[in-house]
Amino acid sequence: MSVKDLPAWEALKEHANSMQTTHLRDLFLQDSYTDKPEPTSRFETFSVSHDGLLLDFSKQRITQKTVSLLKDLSQDCQLDQWKERLFSGDKINTSENRPALHTALRQPYYNQLLLDEHNIVADVHANLAHMSSMVGRIRAGQWRGYSGLPIDTIVNIGVGGSDLGPLMACNALIDAQPETSHQLKVHFVSSMDGSQIANLLNQLSPATTLFIISSKSFTTIDTLSNANTARQWLKSASGVKDDLLNRRHFIGVSASADKMDLWGIPKNSQLNFWDWTGGRYSMWSAIGLPIALHIGMAAFKEMLSGAHAMDEHFKHAPFEKNLPVQLGMIGIWNINFLNIHAHAILPYDGRLSHLPAYLEQLEMESNGKNVNRQGNVIDYHTCPILWGEIGPNAQHAFYQLLHQGTESVMCDFIAPARRYGGFDSTELEQQHQLSLANCLAQSRLLALGDAAIAGNDTAPTHKRYRGNQPSTTLLFNELTPFSFGQLIALYEHKVFVQSVIWDINPFDQWGVELGKKMATDLLKPLTNEQSSSPFDSSTEGLLCAILSQQRQSEQESH
Amino acid sequence: MNIAIWGQELTAWATAGMLAQSGNNVYIVNDTEITDPVIMMGSSISNEPGLKDLIEQQFEKQNLQMIQSKSAVVIATHILSMNPAEFEQAQNTVAHIAKHHSDKVLIINQSHFGVGYTDKLQTLLDIDKDQVVVYLAENISEGEALKNIHKPKSLTFGSTNEWATMLTRSLLRPFSSQLEQLLVMTPKEAEFAKLSITGMLALRIGYINELANLAEQLNVDIDVIKQSLGADPRIGHHYLSPGCGFGGNTFSQTIKGLANLLSEKRQSQLLDTVLQENEKQKEQPFRKLWRHYECDIHKLNIAIWGVSFKPGSAALDCAPSLKIISALTAQQANIHIHDPEALENIEKLYGEHPQVHTYHDKYEALNKADALLLLTEWPEYASPNYDEMKDRMKAPLIIDGRNLLSKELLESLGFTYYGIGR
Repeated sequence: MSVKDLPAWEALKEHANSMQTTHLRDLFLQDSYTDKPEPTSRFETFSVSHDGLLLDFSKQRITQKTVSLLKDLSQDCQLDQWKERLFSGDKINTSENRPALHTALRQPYYNQLLLDEHNIVADVHANLAHMSSMVGRIRAGQWRGYSGLPIDTIVNIGVGGSDLGPLMACNALIDAQPETSHQLKVHFVSSMDGSQIANLLNQLSPATTLFIISSKSFTTIDTLSNANTARQWLKSASGVKDDLLNRRHFIGVSASADKMDLWGIPKNSQLNFWDWTGGRYSMWSAIGLPIALHIGMAAFKEMLSGAHAMDEHFKHAPFEKNLPVQLGMIGIWNINFLNIHAHAILPYDGRLSHLPAYLEQLEMESNGKNVNRQGNVIDYHTCPILWGEIGPNAQHAFYQLLHQGTESVMCDFIAPARRYGGFDSTELEQQHQLSLANCLAQSRLLALGDAAIAGNDTAPTHKRYRGNQPSTTLLFNELTPFSFGQLIALYEHKVFVQSVIWDINPFDQWGVELGKKMATDLLKPLTNEQSSSPFDSSTEGLLCAILSQQRQSEQESH
Repeated sequence: MNIAIWGQELTAWATAGMLAQSGNNVYIVNDTEITDPVIMMGSSISNEPGLKDLIEQQFEKQNLQMIQSKSAVVIATHILSMNPAEFEQAQNTVAHIAKHHSDKVLIINQSHFGVGYTDKLQTLLDIDKDQVVVYLAENISEGEALKNIHKPKSLTFGSTNEWATMLTRSLLRPFSSQLEQLLVMTPKEAEFAKLSITGMLALRIGYINELANLAEQLNVDIDVIKQSLGADPRIGHHYLSPGCGFGGNTFSQTIKGLANLLSEKRQSQLLDTVLQENEKQKEQPFRKLWRHYECDIHKLNIAIWGVSFKPGSAALDCAPSLKIISALTAQQANIHIHDPEALENIEKLYGEHPQVHTYHDKYEALNKADALLLLTEWPEYASPNYDEMKDRMKAPLIIDGRNLLSKELLESLGFTYYGIGR
């Protein structure tokens, strides 16, 4: 049976017919026309706060009926049972026959979670302890390079989940860095073509640079080619043999110890994680090593506690109060019933500049699927196109489309209430107020359109704003490792909630496999090897053009 | 003359002892319960050669006494030898003194608060009534403090008041037998001059160390270069010995003060760079060891001869040995330390540490050693019994952070030798 056949789905469809023609402006107008003795506002009805986070859904195109029908749908889809399966380590990643246990990575040490009769929380904490000793040594300036100088620069080589999470977190938590005498610089390299690493290596000192090679499989070609370039760079600068460089300048993070051995990473420089951790859910594991190096182990553990607190909330809070459930279900309403297929992520805090890219992967790689858990092609929408940018910057870019384009777009506005507490600068505090004012102004204008500004309804058409673009505002007290952990776990669980409704497996990513294989085939003609089969005429034409350009420049250099 | 001494620095105690010895009644200001001067001095000061005896002797003769601050303020002559961080206390002290005097008062400031700070103290007193704060640059080096005070060759003195200058000169008269120059200038100039001298010395050391590191890479012996540099009359031989960095509390703090002043007022990183490079230089012997053992010294036995920041002192303040011991412990090496004076201080820091061991016999520290690091040029290390060393050591490897030993001799005896810049 398809989700579309559920009675709750039917009811929502019917409800949507009337909501399609209801403008947010009018929903807000009801605030002032109510005849109840103690009227509750839309904000009071449709905002939920928990442990320092406030989610305001009142600018979504919903009524109380919508919420109650969504609750029915979640029950019909057995959301609670699925949550239970997620947390208990059931093999819900069926296509790869394994559980998805990123939540185990943030369990406190005294908890227990048995997987095949083995307590994996103990494994997690043993690995955290190993990580902690490395972090302590490096941050104390006692991890020495080949010359004996202390390592002061970290380069994380990884791609996808091994890059986006740590990169985003390091930027987000820049103010959480404890003061130390030994300053560490952390860099990230991911691009396959070598453009990032080539630029970076020019500025670094080989004697004091340590590389983290992060790859779940340790076979990712993007990562390994960058790692080989790094090793060659160290080798030509130092004249030292590989084995010594491997020992002092590389740390490997992978679920495949064998592959790390093969590359030459010594055992005590290996950090492990497990195949039950998906790449895009892995920054809580040893993949988070750059984060821990950047902010220290104590702050890293704070981040884990924040995520764990969100896990507990997701597990236990009732539907109406449950932040990830609300966020997920309202997304379902927008996508499947209001037919909105674009989702903008708009942080009003420069430290969250990499959050949109992170959520692009988290949401689109998890739920960008068209086959249900039974293997049938589905006939309803799943993950929308998701993109984003720091809000104030995006205001000068794509907000034009949000306000006056022809597409419906749902938006997440994300902002901290307080900032610059420790800076003692009224100018910076003023800048934060300005940013918040913009955040509030934009979501208001998107929702209400012309009605937000008195008199604008008489303006010429090109100056009119139609409004009715729904948005959620996510306000947290302050951006700290803890609140950051909460925020990311919130989105992880939101994605899970939606996958349950859509009846898809959010933990595999078969759609990225075939391209890798095809690239291997296409490398042959580019390296003068005989290719096995002819390609299409477009590919053949492009190959031909590339090769002729390359031959020409070879001749010129002779 | 009755003189009150404020402060707990080495200069305070050495000055107190010397002034008491030349007939003054000297009062050490002490508001604590401690009555034993040796305990009050603390071990790093009481280790100063000759000082402990001098102080005990002068206390016995009652030329030297303790006094509480509330009684001290009524005395008419004061010396401030306080820690650079104690300027606020100095201000309170001077303000207190001002309250109790309507007539002449002399305060001699010997503390390194920075340039212009003596003038700041003067504003609390009425110079028209001959209530004066003057600046007298101390130029003692740890290990030679008494000698430095007893027979200085030159003194830099900051005063603009005739009466105060006269009185200070007469106080210094017993110590002027070898005085070649008494340079009188404004207090601000004198403070600046003092800082400049220390900065110049640091620059020289920093420069020769840089040259030594370069000489090593170019396969040139820095000793030869050093001779040649020193022979140039414009340069001279002083402070041109390469080594594993300078330490010492006063020296390091003074340079830090000047470096901050330079970067704040002039955006000049000159001395900051010298200080940063010096910190790196302190680990130079560790790096030589590290490279010799191909980046793995885990479980090796490393002997260290000399941990005090310089010979003649037991002090470990900013000593290169401390950085090296942390580096070695972090690499899980076992450390066996000898030092003629500083073992007690090392035990205070590392007494419970399972990897750190101390020895009163320098040869015993060498048993089964995989290397010897020589970090302080104590005279007793200059000509050791090499046969005994070789017998005891597991690997005859010597890393000489002070270029104290002869490379040629050691190599001919079968040692592997690394110096600084040769």
